Amino acid sequence: MSSIDITTVPVARLRERKVSTRIWRQAFASVEFRIGLIVLVLLVAAALLYPSLSGIDPVKMNIKAKLMPPLFMGEGWSWSHPLGTDQLGRDMLVRALVGLRYSLLIGVSTTVLMLLVGALIGLFAGYFGGKTDTILMRLTDAQLSIPMIILAITILGVSRPTIPSIILVLGLAGWPVYARVMRSTVMSERKKEYVRGAMVLGATDWRIMFALILPLVLPPMAFVAVLDIARMMIFESVLGFLGLGVQPPTPTFGNIIADGRKYLMNAWWIATMPGIFLVLVLTSINLMGASLERARNAIYGGA
Amino acid sequence: MLDGAETRTLLSVRNLSVMAGDRTILDGISFDLQPRRILSVIGESGSGKTVLARTLASWLSPPLRVSGGTVLFQGRDLLADPTHARSLSGREIAYVGGNPAGALDPTMTVGAQLVEKLRAVRPDIPAAKARDKAIQLLKAVRIPAAERRFNEYPFQYSGGMMQRAMIVDALISDPALLIADNITQPLDVTVAAQILKLMRDLNAEFSTAILFICSSLPVACDASDEVMVLHKGRVVERQTPAALIASPQHGYTYALIAELPTLWQGGPDRRRRVPATERPIMSVRGVSKAYETRGKSGKALVQAVRNADFDVFAGDNFGIVGESGCGKSSLMRLLTGLERPDGGRILFKGEDVGTASRKRLRELRREFQLVLQDPYGSLPPQSAIGAILEEPLKIHRIGTRAERRDRARAVMSEVGLHPGLYESLPTGLSAGQRQRLNVARAMILEPDLLIMDETLSALDQTEQGKLLDLFERLQARHGFTYIFISHDLTMVRQVCSRIAVMYLGEAVEVAPNDRLFFDPGHPYTRGLLSAAPTLEPRRYRPEDCLLEGEPPSPIDLPPGCAFASRCPHAFDRCRAENPALLSRGGQALAACFLNEPHEATHV
Amino acid sequence: MFILRFLARRLFQGAIIVFLVSALIFTLLRVVPGDPVRLMAGGMAPEALIEQIAADMGLRDPIWQQFGRYIGGVVQGDLGQSFVRPANGAAVGGASFDDTTRSERAEVLALIADTAPMTLQLALLAMVFALVIAVPVGVWGGLHPGGWPDRMALYLSSLFVSLPNFWLGIVLALILSVKLQLMPAIGYKGFAYTILPALVLAIEIAPFLIRTLTVSVAGVMGQTFIDIARVRGLTRNQIVFRHALKNSSIPLLNLIGVQFSMLLGGVLVIEFIFDYPGLGLLTINAVMQRDFPLIQGIAIVTAAAFVLINIIVDLVATTIDPRLEY
Repeated sequence: MSSIDITTVPVARLRERKVSTRIWRQAFASVEFRIGLIVLVLLVAAALLYPSLSGIDPVKMNIKAKLMPPLFMGEGWSWSHPLGTDQLGRDMLVRALVGLRYSLLIGVSTTVLMLLVGALIGLFAGYFGGKTDTILMRLTDAQLSIPMIILAITILGVSRPTIPSIILVLGLAGWPVYARVMRSTVMSERKKEYVRGAMVLGATDWRIMFALILPLVLPPMAFVAVLDIARMMIFESVLGFLGLGVQPPTPTFGNIIADGRKYLMNAWWIATMPGIFLVLVLTSINLMGASLERARNAIYGGA
Repeated sequence: MLDGAETRTLLSVRNLSVMAGDRTILDGISFDLQPRRILSVIGESGSGKTVLARTLASWLSPPLRVSGGTVLFQGRDLLADPTHARSLSGREIAYVGGNPAGALDPTMTVGAQLVEKLRAVRPDIPAAKARDKAIQLLKAVRIPAAERRFNEYPFQYSGGMMQRAMIVDALISDPALLIADNITQPLDVTVAAQILKLMRDLNAEFSTAILFICSSLPVACDASDEVMVLHKGRVVERQTPAALIASPQHGYTYALIAELPTLWQGGPDRRRRVPATERPIMSVRGVSKAYETRGKSGKALVQAVRNADFDVFAGDNFGIVGESGCGKSSLMRLLTGLERPDGGRILFKGEDVGTASRKRLRELRREFQLVLQDPYGSLPPQSAIGAILEEPLKIHRIGTRAERRDRARAVMSEVGLHPGLYESLPTGLSAGQRQRLNVARAMILEPDLLIMDETLSALDQTEQGKLLDLFERLQARHGFTYIFISHDLTMVRQVCSRIAVMYLGEAVEVAPNDRLFFDPGHPYTRGLLSAAPTLEPRRYRPEDCLLEGEPPSPIDLPPGCAFASRCPHAFDRCRAENPALLSRGGQALAACFLNEPHEATHV
Repeated sequence: MFILRFLARRLFQGAIIVFLVSALIFTLLRVVPGDPVRLMAGGMAPEALIEQIAADMGLRDPIWQQFGRYIGGVVQGDLGQSFVRPANGAAVGGASFDDTTRSERAEVLALIADTAPMTLQLALLAMVFALVIAVPVGVWGGLHPGGWPDRMALYLSSLFVSLPNFWLGIVLALILSVKLQLMPAIGYKGFAYTILPALVLAIEIAPFLIRTLTVSVAGVMGQTFIDIARVRGLTRNQIVFRHALKNSSIPLLNLIGVQFSMLLGGVLVIEFIFDYPGLGLLTINAVMQRDFPLIQGIAIVTAAAFVLINIIVDLVATTIDPRLEY
């Protein structure tokens, strides 16, 4: 009886991959993700490099070269302005690329902000339940019941839109969905035995919330948040279109398209070309986001 | 369809082989089944018995595929003619599975689905007739108030009730063959025993042949005319139950029978002991707990634990047994301080756990620990084994980093986990290894009391035995006290010196091991013992003791004894007054009026 | 009885939500910079006059007093009067500070009641279009997880969700209305003017429906009762149409409830582009003109609509799946 039955020795110490790594790998294995990644990398590289390399100023007017059509379209196109020029002779490609910079900046920071706020509120509501939950969720419902865009244009319409205020407004208007998802995930995690196990071991609530549950449930949510980067970029462009985004002369997708709308009949490319550009970026982000979401569902469904 | 002499044999399987990819699952299975017979197929998990059931029900999905053989049903080969096979499934060949809870659409009433199924396979039957037949069969499987139940939804049925409904679903088309795949597995013993009895009755009444697939030898022997043993995809033997038990032909069957723990006879039960001391380490005094639920008629109180009362002695193995819903999990949460009782006291070394401050409770937790039931859900999914073990030390700020690491490694080797696993995630561990890890995590704080909540239920017989050995060794070395919370009578019979039986939140009987099994003082205990699956000659015959019906809802308990509605001996007083635990001498207590000296003469 | 209790509870909760919303919007409008009186009175107005108008209208009282007055009116069904719109319809903007018609400014409630049916028409038609696109694609994708219908659903929804509504509106108007002359686009002179905006809105909503449907159909198809239905003898059609679709419609319903505000956001932009005289256009104009009472009124009405729609969604969900208690 004194001998101890040692269970099977690990063959080669299996360094099992963490769930988030597995999600990345699975997503990366899909064609959609790769296509999206390649397109996005190319466009982001162009947005970072082309405006300075080409030396073209996105806000410099050049009346002589005004209303030039894109390559191979109509008469008077030129290699120096691949997407044509607008009514003031500004290069559309550079303007769109600079717009992309702002769009990405606002999209990413807004998503991070709403993810953080939503996750925290959902974590508290889901973990503590009871009164905390009721109060936080009523607040969330109230917030959710005002269309985000109405809230955003109300605030930005009556105050002056700047980049930080746009990020703040969109981020604060977008957290409720995250709070809801987080709350229900935390609620179901909290019922699981490993949480009970930690409680019996004597762990404090804070320790369980931030050291045990949060690291587990945040990454899967963050993966899906990629989809919201695209959504927020659309919102940013909507605001710009309504004249409530980053103010001219800084070019953004929204204000370029709003400008181009006035010249729709004689220079259709001003409104449409930046849009195609934007759609390309958004589709690449959405493809990546969707494959991440699927990978997550597959891995969580299977394990 | 049967045309007399020619098809005397209903089902004839010859050389059936099934592969999954290039792995052989079934290897040359051959057997015959006559009409009206019950044939059990038993084997451990992985023996291929469920694959066999699914093959016969034409329900194989990739990667499984038939690689050879014939399945003659009423003389026609099902494998050669899949269209014919499909047309039989649900009509002539019916299937009942082991998961009644998920077997029907939750958004439709049970009745509507029974009618839908009958009319799908027999479109010639008018709806009104189908409905009558469904209700008639619901009555036949003894579902109370069948007309009302017909219009209820699946979620309103209990597990046992749902399994009866699924049997109705199978029998409603008058099939010639019923494949019953592990149908008693998720049910409590007393309910499982009822279902088995029902199945035998129905077999006599409806002249359906039954292929009864199960993993428990005692259940198979109870249920059938003949038992066929499946091992690693092959039929190793086939005999009548009596012959099989008396003279198993194959080594595997022999080992299977030898390994079975026993309730009354001797056997591998070296662990049974008398109580070590009579010094209580934990005393439960009149503890109760109710939960509020929002039911159909507003708020309701579920009385999960009612007036529980017992002592656990230091160095002892104490068992708490009961069926699902008896309140043992709630009691566990109270004992471990996860929840506070509504009333009563839980004294651990003289200190009340139920009213201790949060801080004090955290300190107390170093001295009593819990080992949880689910080997998969109880470990944090993304921590390495070493980190899991060091976590409790970190929580209580014990030792330096190096000391914690040494301690974790020491505990790992003590419970039989290779120290080389220190940095691995628990993902690759088997259920048994995971439970060792759970035990290691609980004992790293060097507690005095370990509460085992169904710790062994997820493990197979062999693994259970190994862990029980481990527990005994650890107890000898560290002087642990164990509380085993379990539904498994054979397990507590093997290890516990004293046992409490719970029914609807109450401890109805508390007695030393031998006394409980040889001289139970409560009718519920007798019922439980009569339903326990065992190959031994029964001390308590199901005919006398088997309980009818199911426990009443803990929401609106009638006054008096909670067991009165199912008790074969209940009399007027039982329905008016709730009996308290009374001493029957020799540390045995039972809550039943039959034990009062003069009342006993009454009955 | 359950229904009454359920309704009472939910309506009470809804009232709290609406109250919170109005408090939030009211405070926001008064905290952020931008004085509506200056806009109303026009740039030329002398400072003293502006102060006098503001004082007359109670705009210099403490916020909680203004809010109390306002809520008092709301409870009686009075959402106040527009700052800038006269009762006869046309917006006056900051025309003149000695405007004598100020007493005849339009009732907020009347402005909303006039435009809401137009928006409802647009939203309902868009919903129909969206379901026509999403249900076949989503269900088909969900029935073949990993297969090419599933992939198609993924590509289609990824593309649709990437089309900014205002840009798509301009492009479709350019192609369908200007170049091909298939349907009218700008303004509103009859039902035909609803089709194009509704189409754009539908394309904005469809990807969410497709994604939810694909996931829920695939999830339901993997459940035991669907798996076992075949062995019970049910046909594939019975399984898919009677059981799978019914069970997977609940997530879809919930989505509609939660994403209602997204729908309204889309309506707003699309009405602006197509100059469609609905609630959305009213909102944008109200914001541009700093018409506080109108903004507040719209926020309250949309919040109330949100609450009602969610109650209806939950009621319908409960009749589909009786396990969901009220």
